[in-house]
Amino acid sequence: MLLLQQLINGLMLGGLYVMVAVAFTLIIGMLNFLNFTIPALFMFAAMMMWATMTGNLPFGNDFLLSAFGEHHIWIAGVVVSIVSICIVSLIIERFTYRYMKAKYGDATEHALPLVSSLGFLIIFEHLVISQWGSDPLQIESPFGDATFTIGSLIFSIPQIISLALSLGIVFLLSHIIRRTKLGRALRSIAERPDTATLMGVDVLRIVPVVYVITGLLCAISGILFTINYTSIDAYIGDTVATVAIAGMVLGGLGNVWGAVVGGLFVGILEVFSIYIVGADFVKVPIWGLLLLILVLKPTGLFGHSAIGKGKF
Amino acid sequence: MAGNVLAVTGLHKSFGGLKVIDEVSFDVARGSRTALIGPNGAGKTTIFNLLTGVYPVDAGSVVLAGSDITDIPSKDRVVHGMSRSFQNIRLMPHLSTVENVMLGQHARAHSLGQLLFPLGLVARNRWRAEAEAALAEAGLDSYPGEVVANLPYGVQKRIEVVRAMISRPQLLLLDEPAAGLNDVETRQLQALLEQVSAIGVTILVVEHDMHFVRNLCDHVVVLNFGRKIFEGSPEEVHRSPVVLEAYLGTDEPGSGEGAAGAA
Repeated sequence: MLLLQQLINGLMLGGLYVMVAVAFTLIIGMLNFLNFTIPALFMFAAMMMWATMTGNLPFGNDFLLSAFGEHHIWIAGVVVSIVSICIVSLIIERFTYRYMKAKYGDATEHALPLVSSLGFLIIFEHLVISQWGSDPLQIESPFGDATFTIGSLIFSIPQIISLALSLGIVFLLSHIIRRTKLGRALRSIAERPDTATLMGVDVLRIVPVVYVITGLLCAISGILFTINYTSIDAYIGDTVATVAIAGMVLGGLGNVWGAVVGGLFVGILEVFSIYIVGADFVKVPIWGLLLLILVLKPTGLFGHSAIGKGKF
Repeated sequence: MAGNVLAVTGLHKSFGGLKVIDEVSFDVARGSRTALIGPNGAGKTTIFNLLTGVYPVDAGSVVLAGSDITDIPSKDRVVHGMSRSFQNIRLMPHLSTVENVMLGQHARAHSLGQLLFPLGLVARNRWRAEAEAALAEAGLDSYPGEVVANLPYGVQKRIEVVRAMISRPQLLLLDEPAAGLNDVETRQLQALLEQVSAIGVTILVVEHDMHFVRNLCDHVVVLNFGRKIFEGSPEEVHRSPVVLEAYLGTDEPGSGEGAAGAA
């Protein structure tokens, strides 16, 4: 029964990794680089949630408290978080993609966006540290200990809602990519950006949409993480993203549903690793598995099926 | 110039120190089927890339249906009524036939609402219906869901034409459409282009195959070493000593005029 409980806990944690893994895989599949601003966005969303709920926003939160009331201040946190992530995503798009593309065209060296995104991660972490310090920060869960039990198994209601929300969002995203004109444009940019431009696809308007979508995935995941685990710090993005990257590689680069399966799997693996080898070594099994996959099956469990490359 | 869909004036382009296009001017009459021919390296594809905005021009102007498009971005030229196919097919290999054609509709769908509507919830929305009808009209309705990478070369060539046509261009640019096609495929392509021409779309084609050009085109512009050396009907081009010389080289004495043109 204990094992089954661990499996449930792992699945719930995996639900949060899923969105981050999908964010990574979306940028890899479309724009072909590992976007290190994703951990920064996750962390920043969590921080905004915390700052709004605890009155640590630079301009205070009296205004928000009077608008939303003490019991619903978490809603203000969600709004502040999502709005600020959308703005930040657009700024990041300018610096990791647009200016380089305008200057160097499609031949842009793929290391450039990667390195500039790494720069953003470091800058964001240190901005947050200089504002709020590097110690763990706590919130009080707006939902308390809302749980229900089936037999002796305990289910946390916020966690179940998180998992459902996460899978729902990914389903919607995959649907948009497969079935709408926007999705078709995304897939054609992934395959042949110059030809897509000549066909009238407005690449410079659609790429920011991709950044905002990945930003929203990170934001929602960061918000849910904060609500569920109530303790965050400036490095939470690194912690979560390294596991999510392992999940993404497991599912195959650029493969959205692969990232879902991989994200859930590493969540379960993490919980079992803590249970078996202890929290200090938790990264070893996860990254050990990642290295093993890279050696044995670099295309991931579900093979190559990057965004542009036909399958979903 | 009411009679012209396209007016190219004094076009120049150099790569490094190499003059690739040197003072080229020509007009394409509305409704005509004009060919741009010339030996390898004459600058035909470069002209296409200048017309579609892949490269910026060094000097000269390109006027499409009365508006100067010399300096506007590629993606907007489609909106002005210019659409093209490529020398090496540039369909999206992992998209289906219908999806490739639907890509050509982007010139007419710009707002986020249009890009998302109808959210894939209506299986047969007007965009898809239009793409399927266009394929059917071209006799290509037997492969709607097929990923194009798996289709024969000749079929892919024709899908590219259908994709270019769905943006409702006034001018269709075709870069060596008959290259690599067998006789049957060439005839099928020609039939498709006759259809396109019949609905009033002007065709400008770069082509090596003179047989294909004579069957399809009513006007020919000849380039050599980046300059225009001759312009006229296919018969005139066929009889022109200047053109003959450009293709075959100068052996016989007394063809000074041609040598000057080719220099």
